[in-house]
Amino acid sequence: MTDTGKTAADLRDRLWSAVLGGDAYTATDTLYQGLDIGLDTETLLLDVIGAVQEKVGTEWAADRITVAQEHAATAVNERVVTALVPSSPVPADTGWGPSRGRVTVACVEGEWHAFPARLVAEVLALRGWQVDYLGAQTPGPHLITHLRRTGADAVLLSSSLPTRLPTAHAMIAACQAAGVPVMVGGRAFGPDGRYARACGADRWAANAREAATALEGGLTAATPSPGSTTARQPVDDLPHLADQEYTMVVKSRTRLVEETLAGLREEVPALRLYTDVQHERTAEDHAHIVDFLAAALYVDDTALFTGFIGWTADVLEARSVSPRCLVPGLHLLARRLHDFPRATALLHAGAATVAARPGTGPGNTA
Amino acid sequence: MTAPDPEFSLIVTAVADVLRVEIAGDLDQTASEELVRAVAGHLTPGTAFRHLRLDFRQLTWIDSMGLAALLRTRRLTSTAGVRLRLDNRPGFLDRLLALTGTSAHLTASGSTGEEVTGTGTG
Amino acid sequence: MVPSRGLPSGSRPTGVSVGPAWSEAPCPILVVDRNGGIVEVNEAARTLLSGTAGGDRPSWHLPDWLADAHRCVTGGPSTTCAPTRSGRIGERMFEAFPTPHPDGDVVWWLIDDTDRRLAEETLRRAQERAAVLAGVSGTLLSSLSVQTCVEAAARLAVHHLADAAVLISPASPAGSDRFPVTFARAGGPVTGTTRTVDPATVPGLAEALQGLPSVPACWIDPGEVPAWVIPQGFEGPVGSVVVTPLPGHGVPDGALILLRSVGRRAFAEDEEAFAGLFAARVGAALSSVRVYGEQSRVTALLMRELLPPALGTVHGVEYAGRFRPFQDSERIGGDFYDVHPGADPAEETLVVLGDVAGKGLDAAVLTGRVRNSLHALRPLAHDHGHVLGLLNTALLTSPHERFVTLALASVLRRRAGRVRLRLTSAGHPPPLVLRADGRVEESGTYGDLLGAMPSVSFRTEELVLAPGETCLLYTDGITEARGGPVGGELYGVERLARDLTGRAGMPAEAVVERVHMLAAQWLGRGRHDDMAVVAIGAPRTGPLAVVDGDGHADRRGGADPHVGEDVRSPNTHWRQKRTRRT
Repeated sequence: MTDTGKTAADLRDRLWSAVLGGDAYTATDTLYQGLDIGLDTETLLLDVIGAVQEKVGTEWAADRITVAQEHAATAVNERVVTALVPSSPVPADTGWGPSRGRVTVACVEGEWHAFPARLVAEVLALRGWQVDYLGAQTPGPHLITHLRRTGADAVLLSSSLPTRLPTAHAMIAACQAAGVPVMVGGRAFGPDGRYARACGADRWAANAREAATALEGGLTAATPSPGSTTARQPVDDLPHLADQEYTMVVKSRTRLVEETLAGLREEVPALRLYTDVQHERTAEDHAHIVDFLAAALYVDDTALFTGFIGWTADVLEARSVSPRCLVPGLHLLARRLHDFPRATALLHAGAATVAARPGTGPGNTA
Repeated sequence: MTAPDPEFSLIVTAVADVLRVEIAGDLDQTASEELVRAVAGHLTPGTAFRHLRLDFRQLTWIDSMGLAALLRTRRLTSTAGVRLRLDNRPGFLDRLLALTGTSAHLTASGSTGEEVTGTGTG
Repeated sequence: MVPSRGLPSGSRPTGVSVGPAWSEAPCPILVVDRNGGIVEVNEAARTLLSGTAGGDRPSWHLPDWLADAHRCVTGGPSTTCAPTRSGRIGERMFEAFPTPHPDGDVVWWLIDDTDRRLAEETLRRAQERAAVLAGVSGTLLSSLSVQTCVEAAARLAVHHLADAAVLISPASPAGSDRFPVTFARAGGPVTGTTRTVDPATVPGLAEALQGLPSVPACWIDPGEVPAWVIPQGFEGPVGSVVVTPLPGHGVPDGALILLRSVGRRAFAEDEEAFAGLFAARVGAALSSVRVYGEQSRVTALLMRELLPPALGTVHGVEYAGRFRPFQDSERIGGDFYDVHPGADPAEETLVVLGDVAGKGLDAAVLTGRVRNSLHALRPLAHDHGHVLGLLNTALLTSPHERFVTLALASVLRRRAGRVRLRLTSAGHPPPLVLRADGRVEESGTYGDLLGAMPSVSFRTEELVLAPGETCLLYTDGITEARGGPVGGELYGVERLARDLTGRAGMPAEAVVERVHMLAAQWLGRGRHDDMAVVAIGAPRTGPLAVVDGDGHADRRGGADPHVGEDVRSPNTHWRQKRTRRT
């Protein structure tokens, strides 16, 4: 195991430099060497390629690689996976036995980061499942049609962005109403999968191996009694939605962003010197803040919002921008939403997160 | 004139042999149907109108269905022997006409093409 | 039973004052002494008790439940108080109300509540059945697969109606004697099979399969039910049977056989009626599911022609495409693309990306015609203008009032990984080129849209892609996406070009995804038009494509340790091949 671990680490380093250079040839060869020294495909997929892909994300956030490098690396990783795994379904006569069952792997609508889902799909296929991989951004109606057509035993939904949680929730309910149990995974569902439960998923898996193990243990829908229908409304799972705060924030998203920007232009003189592109980025940042605020209201979880604010602060700091620039926007939003106690509390918690960072404490704020 | 899009409106004025249609708002699918209906309703066989002027001063956007409506309008005017003019064209309309190569076709009047108007009121 | 002191002859002196009102009261009244002996009864009670005892000299007893209640009231030793003071006397149900008297006698007033109870029971059962029926349709229709629906129906029938249920689906193929049969029994699995069935051998089945009214259960001799109908593990023998048709949309959709074992109550008339209602729901659901299945099969067949094709590498050049219809519930629309590979690497590959004005199915039908026409005109593709002119004429003479814009690209791979392109736009946004140095260029082609004007002209541009460079064809749905952080703003070609700057070297597939993602992010929740993107990429490194090429056929089985030896050998074979290459 330590040998495997050491070898995998070595391969990871070599793959990392290959993907950074956009060198698909060397990258693929690195993986083939892994096969030659006896590592299995699953290990290569998850402990080498998957690990490198994760590093791509963290290194970008830390501004140690450029956006162009990030894209090149992702693209090369995609090709490496294609080169490593069978392109057609594993034949039924593998060591795993004739039929493990048929599952569908898809990304939540609006989710474009398909790579983790693809790794899950490949691992399941390797382990003998018949896998339909629908890729990034699967519209709900297509997913349901597909499930009905193929008679899938289970569906695995992936999402990396918590802002997609309301959509994920609707898709989970729709799959379950179609009689198919749902397993979810990806960063959107929280580090411990807590939002998976909030959204009514039948199962959460932390990673590809856990997903495979869970499927092997038999994934069944959580609705036992015959005659009961599983169709339900979001508010049945999330009673706090009745306070309309989520609805209000989503409905007035555009206005909230506009008003915040207008407020910033008044309060932060430096903003008036921004270029068009800088203005657009500022607008995008605040649109993101509102989107994450909505997501946090949806699942009623402060950590979702403060986690995002913390991450944004990291990203800004890595690019030599003071995270304090987030605070005025948060205060403006809080003032604007003063009638909504949950939203206001979240925004204050977000501002506190920034203030609590070393070097950005109250002593340093203007 | 009622339109589903509150911003869209057509104002039709007839002075002597000139039919003038002012188009305001987004010329999209539904709006386009209204425009063609309005023009077809006036350019009946034996019409006394000799000129159709579409005024785009308050046009905010046009999509491919809007362009389709202009092309259908052009067909109506040439059948009726009426001269078509597109007045006060905003930049995005001119760019769309240029991209699709329809500028000369739409702004040349009748089937003879003897009268060509440029941008603006001409 | 409480010992009785015999029949009271009439009135005798008791502590209870008895008047005519008492003796003629409509409800039965009994006076019972502390020992449980009946001391006095009124007329109504006399009639009631005589009726139950029968004969001329009935011996009067308190019914057990009333005797218990009496002991409870008189507080006798070692008695446990029964919570209910109601029970049956003869055919009727009574509720008893005591009036204790100081001398120890108790006057019991009996109120007949038989009808109320019956009404309540009927109501309860009706409510229960309504709830069951309401749930049935929902459960059956949650999956639109016939198999799942049939299984669920059998399971529900066992849960609500019988010890076992057998669902006979219509003969398949129609008219044959082969019937899909689904079995379910309480506590057992649902199993399905297809077998030869002679409906005449099962009582009531022939009628049910023809959709005739059910044969009443009491007419069916359980002994005549053939053994194959009885599911394995059924706790036999069969005591009663209901055979009911499953009424479909105008035609019978099979039959449902319900079995109860001897130990259980036979099907009552109202249960049979309920079984009929249940079967009606099942039949309706099954028919809907069948129609859905048939329609989606037909739609899928017709749509296959209209769906965008899957693209890949052709003659050493990468192609990728992606289409997003204006409504995410749709799969087809007015945007389309095709790649027509050259017969060999020395011949140009023709790429088409186009946009029919309009959306949805109407537009899609016209895209089908345009695609077919272009396919037929391919041999003339060395002259784009000629092809487009012919297409224009064809469109002008068709009854459609729609026009088409499109971009053509003829692609040829040259030496050193360079790719030559001839690009022509017919009223379409000019393609973008992602250059190796990071710049994004707009190609210089332009031309007229098709299907509106009698004469059209075009300017074809020729350009060369170096390895790693990509040419991007897109429809205006991308650049006309409205949204952005403050909403309502056009995405626009300038922003697209800016967002793609520095993205050279990405595989075609990644460029296409990237463009769709950018547009989708700009849109947010906004409405949008059809969007289509095709990327033509000069591969950055040659050898990988070769790996792709020879790897596919041999690599199944992979290096998974769980793969058996028999499939390991081709894998070894492949790895030797690959080792030779390296």
